[in-house]
Amino acid sequence: MEIPYTVHPRPDTGLYNAKVGIWLFLASEVMLFGGLFSAYIFLRVGADYPWPVHDLDVTLGFWNTIVLIASSVTVVMAWACLKLRKFGWYRINMAITVLCAAVFMFNKSLEYSAKFKHYAVKLTDGTILTGHMPEDEHGHIIPYTVKFGEVSEINLTLPVKKSAVAADPVHHVLPFIDGAAPKFKTPEGKEITLDAASFAEIRTAEIAKARAAKKDSASLKLTASAPFKLAAKPSQIFGYTPTTITFRDGTVATGKLIDDKLTLLVDGVDARGVAQSEKSLAFDHRYLGEGWQKAFVANRDHHISEFEKKYTDKNGKLTREKSKSATLQKESLFFKLHSSTPPAQGAAHGEKHGAEAHAPAAGHGGGHDYPTVVLEKKDVTFFSNFTPKLNTYYAIYFTLTGLHGAHVVAGALVLLYFLVFNGRMLREDPEHLANRVEVGGLFWHFVDLVWIFLFPLLYLL
Amino acid sequence: MSAAAIPSETAHDHTHDHAHDHHEPAFLWKYIFSTDHKVIGAQYAITGLIFLLLGFFLMLLMRWSIAYPGMPVPAIETIREIPYIKDLFEAMFGRWLNPDGSLNGEIYNMLGAMHGTIMVFFGIVPLGFAGFVNFVMPLQIGTIDMAFPKLNMMSYWFFFISCVLMLWSFFVGTGPVQTGWTMYSPLASTTGIGVTSVWSHGHTWWLTAMVFNISASLLGSVNVIATVINLRAKGMSWMRMPFFCWAMFVTGFLLLLAFPPLEVAAILQLSDRVFGSSFYLPTGLMEGGKHLDISGGGSPLLYQHLFWFLAHPEVYVLILPAFAILTDVIPCNARRPLWGYKSMVYAVLTLGFLSFLVWAHHMYLTGMGTMMSTYFQITTVIISIPSVILLTCLMITLWGGSIRFNTQMLFASAFLPMFGIGGLTGLPLAFAFIDLALHDTYYVIGHFHYVVAPGTIFALFAGVYHWFPKLTGRYMNDKLGKLHFWPSLVGMNLVFAPMFIQGMAGFHRRWYDGGKYFENTSGMTNWSTTLTHKIGEFFGLNIPDNMLSLNIVMSVGAFVLALGQVPFIINFWLSIKGGKKAEGDNPWNATTLEWATPTPPPHGNFLFDINAHRGPYEYSVPGHPADFYPQWESEPGKPVPPSKAEAHAHH
Amino acid sequence: MSDNIEEIRKSVKKYIIIGVTLIICTGLTVWLSYVELPTHGLNILAGMILATFKAALVALIFMHLNHERSVIYKILIFTVVFALALFLLFYFSNIDPLVFEGFYKHNE
Repeated sequence: MEIPYTVHPRPDTGLYNAKVGIWLFLASEVMLFGGLFSAYIFLRVGADYPWPVHDLDVTLGFWNTIVLIASSVTVVMAWACLKLRKFGWYRINMAITVLCAAVFMFNKSLEYSAKFKHYAVKLTDGTILTGHMPEDEHGHIIPYTVKFGEVSEINLTLPVKKSAVAADPVHHVLPFIDGAAPKFKTPEGKEITLDAASFAEIRTAEIAKARAAKKDSASLKLTASAPFKLAAKPSQIFGYTPTTITFRDGTVATGKLIDDKLTLLVDGVDARGVAQSEKSLAFDHRYLGEGWQKAFVANRDHHISEFEKKYTDKNGKLTREKSKSATLQKESLFFKLHSSTPPAQGAAHGEKHGAEAHAPAAGHGGGHDYPTVVLEKKDVTFFSNFTPKLNTYYAIYFTLTGLHGAHVVAGALVLLYFLVFNGRMLREDPEHLANRVEVGGLFWHFVDLVWIFLFPLLYLL
Repeated sequence: MSAAAIPSETAHDHTHDHAHDHHEPAFLWKYIFSTDHKVIGAQYAITGLIFLLLGFFLMLLMRWSIAYPGMPVPAIETIREIPYIKDLFEAMFGRWLNPDGSLNGEIYNMLGAMHGTIMVFFGIVPLGFAGFVNFVMPLQIGTIDMAFPKLNMMSYWFFFISCVLMLWSFFVGTGPVQTGWTMYSPLASTTGIGVTSVWSHGHTWWLTAMVFNISASLLGSVNVIATVINLRAKGMSWMRMPFFCWAMFVTGFLLLLAFPPLEVAAILQLSDRVFGSSFYLPTGLMEGGKHLDISGGGSPLLYQHLFWFLAHPEVYVLILPAFAILTDVIPCNARRPLWGYKSMVYAVLTLGFLSFLVWAHHMYLTGMGTMMSTYFQITTVIISIPSVILLTCLMITLWGGSIRFNTQMLFASAFLPMFGIGGLTGLPLAFAFIDLALHDTYYVIGHFHYVVAPGTIFALFAGVYHWFPKLTGRYMNDKLGKLHFWPSLVGMNLVFAPMFIQGMAGFHRRWYDGGKYFENTSGMTNWSTTLTHKIGEFFGLNIPDNMLSLNIVMSVGAFVLALGQVPFIINFWLSIKGGKKAEGDNPWNATTLEWATPTPPPHGNFLFDINAHRGPYEYSVPGHPADFYPQWESEPGKPVPPSKAEAHAHH
Repeated sequence: MSDNIEEIRKSVKKYIIIGVTLIICTGLTVWLSYVELPTHGLNILAGMILATFKAALVALIFMHLNHERSVIYKILIFTVVFALALFLLFYFSNIDPLVFEGFYKHNE
């Protein structure tokens, strides 16, 4: 039994089934991206911070656009060649299309990985410092960790019933021990090496005890045979105080906070959120110091005077408002750093700025050098790399481009499938394959069409 | 033939085992991974029925807590001693109950959220839309299968995966979601964010399940629309198409275009939970006196917009299949043509269009702005017009008919006033100034349950009784059917009518104790509470004369409703093999094309070239010898083409 | 979609011309985004007009919407209407033109 109209169009609608299907699917996709774009509109209109403009790599985005447009041309050419029964050209065009998709995704991965390695720190006064984490001699990033020392005991809570938070020190504490894990002593005085098997044994025993005593949960104290050290990323733990650190499984370790300072190689100071930009906390003597402050002020005033020169009419009145020019705000208040020391400014350069700004940036032999600052925890309100967490712009950027990327990959796989596995259909029923390529091509054009809007919205405007 | 598959089929659906690997391949490919639209329809329908039952069970637990807060759930000790069941019960619900076996707010919230989710996305839509449309629509337009049979199978299995994921959320660390079926952020984005792993959190599973569910309905709706557009039989012009197909066609569009924004909402919420973004989280959000480690800058309003952009059309996804079914059941059993077929078609198209433009009337309380409120009040009032046209046409169809009161007609005729009550009580809610007072009270609950429960679900029952002979070749028992109908009608009204009274008294929908907390401060009475009190006195029960007494009425109603479903379940399973045999392929003397097929329809459906000669509702045509004139008969008196059903049914 | 071989042969050239036009328009969009128009809103407007033009080229020529069947148009018209409703209503839920802001939001 054959479903009618799979290859040849139905006379009254003029369409074959798959074409109706793909257009319906594309209508649904329009609503999917419509939802995302309306989220973009909503977030942008309601944003309470300067919306990043030209923040992404425009050159890379531009080349990606061209790659996608080229692939769009080749896919429609592939279809036309198939219709004209030029099979060789069909294959070449399809191959170029898939190749373009690969290039696009490769560029995307470059863009993403650069973002993941870039960090931003928001200070208490609203200043945002952007920069990189220090690297060790092998070029690996040294992540920001909270370090504890003299840890002597861990306290576990074992709920009797199945629960979302139940002590599991093997997975949630042991990975953060700096150095070799010590042996632990149970309340009964038994000395154990903490691993999955031994912990399961203790847990079963403790829960049985708690159940017998009709308690909801058992608490257990494990004492270390020797004090040990802990180092964990803040995102991996639940919280800490100067003497305790709570892990995500609810286990509390008692010790002493050694260090929760954040080291950053600063490549930008964004003072747009500060009332008096030159007094930003970033220029505190502990951090960037006076030299950079001077450079910042010079840069700011330079851009303001440029702006005034450019937009003053014959009567000496400004034709544009300074406070309303997002470009001026960005140029004057988002200060980019390109060297480890402030640019020479006569006597201002030298010993006056903070001691730490002198420190050579480790691991940055050939590339840029940036001043290193060591930020105290009390000055930091928010810290993230350039991931969806950073702000709503990057959140929607990653969601939109991520979903678009998923569509690129899916479309390319389908086209590749036609190219590689439909050879027999190409010889025996090229009309059917032409329909398939047309349908796949329609999807591919849609992916291109989405990018046509994504590129200006995210990269340019 | 597909009927024979049903019992073993559901066993798999229910227990999620993979025992079907042991069956012979023929069975596996014929009934499990089948691409035949009738089998897929049955799969959807039975999965839907099972989930309706589960959702109903959750509701019973909730109603117990509302009527008798702090009292142990009845028979809890017994359940806790049955082997296997006890472990299942413990993992799903038991671990959240108070030690004495009574409910607390936490589990009440879980039950509430899962009741809504399961009923809407896993019960009514799969049964009402996917089940009926897959089984009936290709038959009615006279084609051999859906346009994309493989996608159709994929659609069911995506849906199946989403069912498994959703059920699995009962068993993970935090238990299922607690934030209502609407899953409003920021609550839903931040609760329990500190648990050991995102996968031990019910929210993650809920969202993942929804992504699968949405993909399934996307594939399903593409299939339905493409089939209607491209596979209609010869002579089946648009205006000869049964209204059933029209309504399902529009429903398909609602699913196709409204679900993607929900997918966006789910993806963004997942991103908020997993990647720590702030799509729905405003700046400076605090929880438990601590600033959350988020950037902020988002807005909860965004979630509500995206969510309701789906969820309002979803309301029509719930109700249109009901109208679709009734336009077949009512004309057939009233022996009258459907009154105002064309106006109904235009009404349903208008309804579909407008349903996309009314979503924010669920959001008057968010303070989204005067212009938005005004706009949405206007569109909301306008959308009641096509709804009224649909209902009125169905009512007028009854006029002057010689009505056969079989079970499906009982359900169908009960639908009309019940849906009427539901619809009319919704009108005041369209106005912001009234909605501000009634928002989130039991009034709203009563309103939409009247639409969906005695409305849609009654229509779905009517559909099950109506097409059962086509699916299995046997009738469902009429006596048991009536035993199903009357308790259901009484039970439904006992449950939902008092909600209007309580709602106007200000009872909030999320009180797990049903307002017990306010017992001493509110002695509000009215005639209904006094009546309850008096009736209680008559039976020697001490039911207080205040609003809380209505909780007991409703819970009694829920219990009656539960008992009323027992005859249905018995009837359904027993009739598959033991029901009275249907005489001929067209037992109801209906006119639409599905009754031209052999019973049950074989793979490929029709034994002769199908051609639609006339409109779908030619009942009691003057001058015609019979009181029905089927679409497939070329001229009056010409016999139905020879049915080769016997020869083909067992090939 | 026309199955006319002759027409397809002619359109091959057209596809390349459209491709080049699209690339030129992309360059124009990039350039325009660096030009400072009186308000940034105008930049966005100009950019979106260009993008819509490009999208229209892709939809009409590459996706053959310039000669498609009426069913497809009907489906797409409704989709576009709903998508626009989504954009507009989302926009207006942040900026409410009916609310008179004069008394509490001046001299900005």
